[in-house]
Amino acid sequence: MRVTLNGETRECPEGTTIERLLDLYKIDKSRIAVELNLHIVPRKELSARMLRDADVLEVVTFVGGG
Amino acid sequence: MLVADKIEKRIENTALKIGRYEFTSRLFVGTGKYPSMEIMKDALEASGAEVVTVAVRRVKINETTSLLDYIDTKRYKILPNTAGCYSAEEAIRTARLAREAGMSDMIKLEVLGDEKTLLPDPVETLKATEVLVKEGFTVLVYTSDDPIIARKLEDAGATSVMPAGAPIGSGQGILNKNNIRIILESAKVPIIVDAGVGTASDVSLAMELGCEGVLLNTGIALAKDPVCMAKAMKLACEAGRLAFLSGRIPKRLYAKASSPEKDF
Repeated sequence: MRVTLNGETRECPEGTTIERLLDLYKIDKSRIAVELNLHIVPRKELSARMLRDADVLEVVTFVGGG
Repeated sequence: MLVADKIEKRIENTALKIGRYEFTSRLFVGTGKYPSMEIMKDALEASGAEVVTVAVRRVKINETTSLLDYIDTKRYKILPNTAGCYSAEEAIRTARLAREAGMSDMIKLEVLGDEKTLLPDPVETLKATEVLVKEGFTVLVYTSDDPIIARKLEDAGATSVMPAGAPIGSGQGILNKNNIRIILESAKVPIIVDAGVGTASDVSLAMELGCEGVLLNTGIALAKDPVCMAKAMKLACEAGRLAFLSGRIPKRLYAKASSPEKDF
């Protein structure tokens, strides 16, 4: 199936959880927030939440700013 | 008691309170635009800041270093901003994401009007403030130096109102100190000058006027020597605060001799 991760289309197997996808792309889970189809996914739900085809994920972190 | 201790005590006894947080340093420093992460780290240390601002952006896949590798989060309180948002809706979304990322319930709310001026959009800023206050955020809100909108933001529940001294990154200093004075006269929440600070005297002036703090980024980050400029800003902030607490003399039109004029 295909999901959109931060604006780019990515292939992943059926049954992939958000946590699995983050691990796949080596994203450090300690300093991020995740939005699935515009709804925030609480940190503790990342490991249980399964992705579906055409899901849109935004993963944000902190960068330099004023 | 030593004179130096007396002065320290005076500063400590009047710590800055932002909602449920308390800070000794009144200088808030940004983390953008430094020549390198190492220079940023040193500049933050030299500034004495206890609060540092950060922005919220998409994670870049395969990026190995993170800003937070260079910021000791035990030492600094992280204040995420909503920079780059041009509507209340975008800013609220960004604030929620920032809180979920787990650093703080404090948010520096900024909703801008356009990319050329980077001036705040007062209508959208007010809307976003109302929503975020209801959701339990500690809202430090960036705004223009207009006293009426400053009052409305306070009434909407902002924990701190942060008027711009001058446009973001312009380094022009405090363009309208009369407006800042009017804002200070009626404010019941801390007023922090945010944006436009170019050099140490700008910080000092803000503090002398009675502002509770100053937030700046570009003035330090783009100085030729950011680390020394950070120290200059720290000293200016303390100097201005002490001058305010000490009660300046009124300005006079004519001279008044300091030495006795008779009995010689």
